[in-house]
Order: sequence, then structure tokens, then C-alpha cells
Amino acid sequence: MQIDQARQLADLMCAAQDGDQQAYIQLLTEITPLVRNTVRARRRFLQNQDIEDITQDILLSLHTVRATYDPKRPFLPWLMAITRHRMADAARRDIRRAANETLVEFLPETFLEDETNILGETYRDPEALKQAIGKLPSGQRNAVEMLKLREMTLKEASALSGKSISSLKVSVHRAIITLRNILKTGA
Amino acid sequence: MKTNDLIGTLGKRAAPIARLPSPWRRVILWLAIALPYIAMVVIVVQPRADIGDKIFEYRYLIEQFAAITTALTAAVAAFVSTIPGHNRKWLFAPAAPLALWLASLGQGCIQTWLQFGNSGLTFKPDWICFPSILLAGTVPAIAMVVMLRRGAPLTPHLTLGLGALAAAALGNFGLRFFHMQDASLMVLFWQLGSVFLISAIAGTYGKRVLTWRHMGAAA
Repeated sequence: MQIDQARQLADLMCAAQDGDQQAYIQLLTEITPLVRNTVRARRRFLQNQDIEDITQDILLSLHTVRATYDPKRPFLPWLMAITRHRMADAARRDIRRAANETLVEFLPETFLEDETNILGETYRDPEALKQAIGKLPSGQRNAVEMLKLREMTLKEASALSGKSISSLKVSVHRAIITLRNILKTGA
Repeated sequence: MKTNDLIGTLGKRAAPIARLPSPWRRVILWLAIALPYIAMVVIVVQPRADIGDKIFEYRYLIEQFAAITTALTAAVAAFVSTIPGHNRKWLFAPAAPLALWLASLGQGCIQTWLQFGNSGLTFKPDWICFPSILLAGTVPAIAMVVMLRRGAPLTPHLTLGLGALAAAALGNFGLRFFHMQDASLMVLFWQLGSVFLISAIAGTYGKRVLTWRHMGAAA
């Protein structure tokens, strides 16, 4: 980065500390690609969404500690120190999370009923499930959307759809059989 | 939330803020709070009867000098650790006065042993040291935590450990004005040991005390 650009960022930061909102927005807009590229360069294995999460975390951290910037000191080392430490914090967080998680290829069974294990047995692709739900008859599709996707209670779904509770139960049961057939055959 | 939206939200919340003073000015402010408190504790507990003679004793002066310079340098190091991009060499500043402190006490132990043999190095429980240092260091410690929380929690464990070292060393400095324990081995174990213990315990709680306090509503 050129010295003039670095000086400009420092001036924007000073203005932002004095309450200039436009200067602050301009500063954040200009440093975001720099922060994002730094994260991407040091964490090449991360997905774009994870890189964006860390970038946003760094911007939030910068906002939290903007009082610590001293105009007599250069701006970029200040920014990069926050970036480095927040990246390290994110890595530690991921390690802690991974230590308590076990990745499995197949999700284990959760309940006795066959209907609840459709996901683990017959599909791996959420997009395929979404398309299969779209192929259901409207009554069955509505029942699945209300009870399984929006997780409404039977009473709420009955009140919304005007159908009886027993009718909704039958529709869900039939929908699950239909979904299983669709996903098995790929039709 | 998209990053552009986050930037817009942060921009709207960009109110004028008071810049953090330099670490050295903050140390002066911290001492302005801590030293009067230490003086008050010494007066209330009452200075040791031999203080008039002690202040002319070179070993006592060296150890007190080492204690207060440890406190000062540890405070500077703690404040520096909360400023992103600051020179990290300051984090090692307490090493020299700590070494002086240890060397002086160690030399005292050796001298006592040479003069009196093993019987000269008597070791007795002196449990009052720990709570006395805590008492003398309470207000300096509280002031230190309040001031550290205004900075960036880049290395919370190290920062709080250094802050605790500063407060405990200052507490020990005050302790030597009213606690009549000068045997080097005893001072080394009970007093300096208490300082290290307090610093280590405080350091383990760094992440709980010094946290990133983000704007939850912006996320």
C-alpha cells in the first residue's frame, strides 16, 4: 500500500474518532478488502462464508476498540494487529468447537418411528429433498411445510389450514411415504 | 448480515469518542489512585516500629526499589498490551526489576547462610503475607482492571497477569512498611511468592475479565 493511501486511512480514522460518520464508512469500506484478503491469504482452507464471518468480526472488533488508535502512530500496524489477534481467536474457537464435535458420514437414528429417520436413510442432498417436497400434492406439501419445516404444532397448523388434526396427520404420513418413494426412485 | 450492511450500521453508531491516553500517562493516573491508598493502609495498620532505621538499610532500599519498579514496569507492560500495534518489547520491561528483586533476595539468603549456616535459614509459616498483600493491593488491582478494560483484549491472560503483577508488587511495596519480616528466605517465599501466585491466578481469568464487547445488535 502506498504511503499516501496509508496516510489517508489514518486521517479517516482520526475523523471517525471525532464522530465523522461518512469518514468512518469510507474507512471501513476501504479496509474491508484489505482485511478480507489478509484472512484469505493466511487461511486458504476456509470457505468464503467463514472468511466473511472473520472479516466482519474484525470490523466489529475495530469498532469496539477504536479509542485505542493513537493518531501519532501509523494506522496499518494497528489494524493488522487487530486482524492477527482476531484470526487467532477464530482459530482457537474452531479448534474448541471441533474438539467437541464428531463428524459422521451418516446421521445416527434419533427416534424409533421410521418417519423420523427418513433423512438419514434415504437422502444426503437437501436440494433433492426440497425438489421432492415440491412434487408432492398440494395438501401433503402444505402439511409437510407447516408441521415439519415451520415446526408448527398440530393445533396451529389446523387453525391455519382449516383442516382437522387427524386429517393433517394422515397427510403428513402419506407425504412421507411419497417422499421416500420419490427420493428412492429419483423421480 | 452482509458486510456492507454491517458497515452501514457501524457508521451510524460512530459517535465521537475519547482517545485512550498513552500507557505512561495511564500509569501516572493509576499511581495517583493506588499510592494514596497504599499510604492510607500503612497509616491505618501503623508503620513498623523500626521504619526509621530500615529506610537507611541498603538491602531494604534495594528490595523496595525493585518492588516499585516491578510495579511500574508491569503496569506499563499491561497497558501497552492493550494497544494494537504497539511495540511488544515493552512486555518484557518487568523482567529486569524482577531479576533485581530475585537477585537481591537470593543474595540475602546466601549471605545469611554463609554467616549463620543452615540454622540461619529458618523457614516458618507467615500466612499473613498473602492477605496483607491482597489488602494493600486491592484498590490498585480494581483500578488496574477498570483501566485495562478500556483497551483491546488482544492477549487477555497476559494483560491481566501483568496488571495483577503490578498491583501485587505495589501491595508488597506497601507491606514492607508495616510488616516486620525481613529474612530473605521468608520474603522470597511468602511475599514474592504471593506476588507470583496472585499474578498467575489473575492471568488464568484473563478471558473472563477482559472480553471483546461487541455491539450485539449489529450482528
